[in-house]
Amino acid sequence: METLGFLMDGFAVAFTPYNLMFALFGAFVGTLIGCLPGLGPANGVAILIPLAFTLGLPPETAMILLTAVYAGAMYGGRISSILLNIPGDEPAMMTCLDGYPMARNGRAADALAASAIASFTGSLIGTIGLIMLAPILARFALTFGPAEYFALFLLAFATLGGITGKNPMKTVIAATLGIMISTVGIDISTGTQRYTFNVLELYEGIDFILAIVGLFAISELLFFVEHRMGGGRDKVSVGKLSLTFKEIVSTLPSQFRGGVLGFIAGVLPGAGASLGSFISYTLEKQVLGKKGKFGEGDIRGVVAPEAGNNGASSGALVPMLTLGVPGSGTTAVLLAMLISLNITPGPLMFTQNADIVWGVIAALLIGNVLLLVLNIPMVGFFVKLLSVPPMYLLPIVTMVAFVGIYSISHSTFDLYFMVVFGVAGFFLRKLEIPLVPIILGLLLGPEMEKNLGHALVLSDGDWSILWQSGLAKGLWLVAGLGLILPYLVGPILRRRMRNAIKESPVSD
Amino acid sequence: MTGLGDRILGLGLLVLAVAYGWAAQQWPEPFGGAEGVGPETFPTILSVVLVAGSLYLMIKPDPDADWPVGKSALELLVSVVVLVVYALLLEPLGFIISTTLAVGVLSWRMGAAPLRAFLTGLISAVVVFVLFNYGLSLSLPAGLLEVH
Repeated sequence: METLGFLMDGFAVAFTPYNLMFALFGAFVGTLIGCLPGLGPANGVAILIPLAFTLGLPPETAMILLTAVYAGAMYGGRISSILLNIPGDEPAMMTCLDGYPMARNGRAADALAASAIASFTGSLIGTIGLIMLAPILARFALTFGPAEYFALFLLAFATLGGITGKNPMKTVIAATLGIMISTVGIDISTGTQRYTFNVLELYEGIDFILAIVGLFAISELLFFVEHRMGGGRDKVSVGKLSLTFKEIVSTLPSQFRGGVLGFIAGVLPGAGASLGSFISYTLEKQVLGKKGKFGEGDIRGVVAPEAGNNGASSGALVPMLTLGVPGSGTTAVLLAMLISLNITPGPLMFTQNADIVWGVIAALLIGNVLLLVLNIPMVGFFVKLLSVPPMYLLPIVTMVAFVGIYSISHSTFDLYFMVVFGVAGFFLRKLEIPLVPIILGLLLGPEMEKNLGHALVLSDGDWSILWQSGLAKGLWLVAGLGLILPYLVGPILRRRMRNAIKESPVSD
Repeated sequence: MTGLGDRILGLGLLVLAVAYGWAAQQWPEPFGGAEGVGPETFPTILSVVLVAGSLYLMIKPDPDADWPVGKSALELLVSVVVLVVYALLLEPLGFIISTTLAVGVLSWRMGAAPLRAFLTGLISAVVVFVLFNYGLSLSLPAGLLEVH
């Protein structure tokens, strides 16, 4: 019961008024970000990173703020799926299937409330899973040597695109580009200047925070400009809440199944939240079969994917916290925050920075309670925000990103760099090169090189050390599968997901 | 030709990969002699991977995306120019004036009425300035509005 003691310590950290205030602020802003059109969770967390820096927050508070934003954004994402049939991000897609029909049947308020409760259950299950699994995995990870770490990083890149990913080769290219950017600057071990072109600002390397903000926030602005989506959408009304207690209780099994499946999908490399919500939804359809009216506004069709999606988002924190290898875009951004706080993520974090890890986990639990309390009464307010046209909103968000970056270094050089990254991000997204592997490459590149170096020093320059141990062999195998499976299984899975969406009669 | 976008990207990446790999071979040997892993080892591996990836892109490109043409492309260019000019003028003009202009132009170009757009810019600029300067005591450049 050592874990329980740590968790209590974590609560002691998270329950200080100062941290609690930031958790509440984060949960609120996160929901805001999640339900605003065009701002996914990764974007939201990315924009808030410079802010957390400039405020000079202590590490645990900064992490608590960002985790709360992360949880909040997952909550907020469902609002636009249900009311407008527009998923905020990919995992929210499955919520549209029954959520939107429910809203059309005049039960929008019920769908929102039920999904809020399901999000809570899913997150709770996910967080409990995280508490149980993370310490075990961290202890196991202590046996990893540099060769195993090198293989693990490869695995992370190979599976990042996910089984449903389109073109694994593009993931590889993106990751390589990211790692290449990370090699700019003075080499740590030898002091050689690499790719600095004698520009003073490049000696310390390229700050990944400005790369992240540029790639995400600025390219998003450019996408909006291109598609002229500035006009905003019609006002939507929510209606009265008619959800009964009995109805909620009757969906509990669905919530539970969804949460567990989602958590598992979140932990596994390459599965991710979209697969989590998809599996949860299909399982629910299979289990209940003809008893349900799936696709026509069945409440369980809202509850299951929403629990799955939130379970997965907690599950995705497991590899990030224990191995330092994030499984999704948003957790990659969280990792960026950790690294810039000078905390080395990985198994040692559980012993060296126990207060931060457990503080974050406790904050996740508290954040979920806050979110549930916040979401049910305030849903009307968030819905109003949906009708704020992006033409006012996005320029302001971009400006906040500029201010955040500027206030870190007070150098306009960084701002130009950020714009360059934004333009590059726009072109890469157009060419369907995913951005998340670039970020991950930037973050993990130096670690990868360090581990490669250590491994080769240990083996006296013998490269075969990289695949000598059984564990390393296993990691290489999974990494290989991660690249090959999308070619074999990906098309089938993608077709099924599309069919599931087509089947649901969203008739007008 | 379909897949032109990917082919051009592939060609660009190939050039980048070769230049990157070539540059890595030019570094002087580090003090203390060559070891198993020098500063050039990792970049060399990366450049090989990227060469392979870019060749694959050129041989098996994905279908093209819809590229913005004409007016959309111009709007995009305007937005990027606005961002660059914003970064350029932030210090000389000060935060409030440059932000009003930048946010105003952007939201005007995204379809807002000019007056409302610049009003949004002004209000958000003042709010953020007050919040940062007095609330968080982080100084943003006051520029022309500075009180001596």
